[in-house]
Amino acid sequence: LSERRRVRVRPPREELADGSALGAVYLRRLIRAQLSLSLLTLVTFGALLGGLPLMLLLLPGVADVDVLGVPLSLLLVGVPMFPFLVALGWLYQHRADALDASFGELAHPPAPEDPP
Amino acid sequence: VIALAAVIAVTAGAVGLGTWGVRLARTTSDVFVASRAISPWWNAAAISGEYLSAASFLGIAGLQMKLGAGALWLPLGFTAGYMTLLLFVAAPLRRFGSYTIPDFAEARLSSPRLRVLGAAIVLIICGFYLVPQLKGAGITLGVITGAPYWVGVVVVAMVVALIVALGGMRGITYVQAYQYWVKTFAICVPACVLLIHLGGLPSRAALFGEELPRAGASGLTVELEKPTRVEFPARVTYAVDGARFVAEAGERRTLPAGELALPPRAVVPVADGTKALRGSDWSAPVSGDTTTTPVYVYSLLLATVLGTMGLPHILVRFYTNRDGPAARRTTVRVLGLLGLFYLFPAVYGLLGRVLVPELYVTGATDEVVLRLPEAAWPGLGGEILAAVVAAGAFAAFMSTASGLLVSLAGTMSYDLWGRIRAPAAGERGVGTRTWRFRVCALATMLVPAALALGARGLDISLLVGWAFALAASTFCPLFLLGIWWTGLTARGAAAGMITGAVTATAGIFAGLITDAPATTTGDALLAQPAAVSVPLAFLTMWLVSVCDPHRPRDVAAHMLALHGPEQLGLAVAQPPLGTSVSRTSKDQTSDAVPTGPD
Repeated sequence: LSERRRVRVRPPREELADGSALGAVYLRRLIRAQLSLSLLTLVTFGALLGGLPLMLLLLPGVADVDVLGVPLSLLLVGVPMFPFLVALGWLYQHRADALDASFGELAHPPAPEDPP
Repeated sequence: VIALAAVIAVTAGAVGLGTWGVRLARTTSDVFVASRAISPWWNAAAISGEYLSAASFLGIAGLQMKLGAGALWLPLGFTAGYMTLLLFVAAPLRRFGSYTIPDFAEARLSSPRLRVLGAAIVLIICGFYLVPQLKGAGITLGVITGAPYWVGVVVVAMVVALIVALGGMRGITYVQAYQYWVKTFAICVPACVLLIHLGGLPSRAALFGEELPRAGASGLTVELEKPTRVEFPARVTYAVDGARFVAEAGERRTLPAGELALPPRAVVPVADGTKALRGSDWSAPVSGDTTTTPVYVYSLLLATVLGTMGLPHILVRFYTNRDGPAARRTTVRVLGLLGLFYLFPAVYGLLGRVLVPELYVTGATDEVVLRLPEAAWPGLGGEILAAVVAAGAFAAFMSTASGLLVSLAGTMSYDLWGRIRAPAAGERGVGTRTWRFRVCALATMLVPAALALGARGLDISLLVGWAFALAASTFCPLFLLGIWWTGLTARGAAAGMITGAVTATAGIFAGLITDAPATTTGDALLAQPAAVSVPLAFLTMWLVSVCDPHRPRDVAAHMLALHGPEQLGLAVAQPPLGTSVSRTSKDQTSDAVPTGPD
């Protein structure tokens, strides 16, 4: 009976709770998934925010375009980034929630029937 | 008079709401508090309310008037900071359960000494951040009552210290949420009304063309309180107290105290420290040859984007979120609420350049938001709008200052006093702690108040920028590496934070002493040292950690506590703290150091 116990596949949740070697692997994978999602979002947002000053510096013509009586360069800094940040944040929040949920499902399989 | 009434009404509203909120929390069932039934919207409004300080309300428009459109990177960075907070810190920190930075440092790296270092840095950051709030108080009271600058600083410092010490207007979520809406209303409505009243932006040539700031069509009179050193960008005939003088272009003179009169359409002289810019340069967000060089812009963005996560008074607010996902939801809403607010300060900067050019002469561009309404619309309309703006400014520095002071006093009374004088302080009664907290609240206000008295000539936004640079070079690496890297050690964290703090502070003070306009790369980095100090702090933290043989205990358990989704059901038992307790009795928060599942 003890032989069967040892080979029984334990749910990841228990491995995690015990801090076993297998649990560490699960945890590492979770953190890596979370981190790559965050980094991907960071790159998107960094490219836009970081690229804006460079673009305005390299394309001085943007200042000559008038929108509603205000130079486009000024408007680009003052307005569109804010809704963009909200949209990107919203997208990230949904992906992150989904990631957590899928890990939760993996770690919480329907309770396996223990052999008598 | 209207302005004073509006200020008093708004402040009374906040204090009233605070007392009412406390009573509500006490009389209604404890479930209400304990279940953290505060929705992400309320939380987000509260965080934004605490965050939008005098720097946002007065400073951005002031700096924009002085430096030009380069100042508009500030609101962008102030908002984008919440993006990095969302991506890397919000949910893990909520799951971990410690919401003061010293708590996190001690618990994650199992090092009580790191708590003391963290606490010391908290004091420096909060102190730096308090100074510009008090400066905002000084100029706001000065503008609405005509009182001298020091009166406003002293009065508001005392009022805030008393309110915090007595526990009124504590960081109750509802009070801060109310403050957010007060501020947004106060910045948005006058801006829109003035634009409509003026029929759009006036004088495009001055704003975006080749013109320097000029006096209005009926000339300009400026009351100079003290002798002022100015530079004349163009040849001008002027009069001081009736005596006429001629100044050549490029000449620098010291104007005596008295009434300065300039003829109609004359190019105004600019105070020392300000550069007279042509409209096209002024409205360029980046440019190679003015004060907003690319190096300065990127350094500023780095400081704000990474510094937000290291602001003690903001992080503690995330505690009222139910769990990690709720913390994320709250942060996304903060992005929206801040974005809404930050659409408007630029309007004041633009209008101010044309309509209140006298601020260029006195150098007090930080007053532009307060002075603009009456300059743009003489009469009752302007007076009412000025009252609205003054009330908003008051809400801005009162809410931020009280939040900062709570953090300061909490850190001082628990993390430092308790540790240094009596290690077993945690065992003592609540009475002693409350008493200590009160003493610290009153005492810690002294240094920032003294500094604020001497900081009159410095721009609010610059002062706040330094607090951000400091936070970005100390706590940002601590959080990013502590949350996402298992290899961080206590020594590495300490070395990195000290390196970051020293480099950032040294840069700031060196910049202050040389006092040069930041036109060269070197000067720009002194004025805004984040681009150097942040990478240096990260590098030191990593290098020392890699070489350090002393690994902290329970790293795996801490990582699980930080990253494990709530669905696992492994989360550390959440300390039974409610909304009203989490701020004032920080010591209780600190007691609940999570240890991870054993």
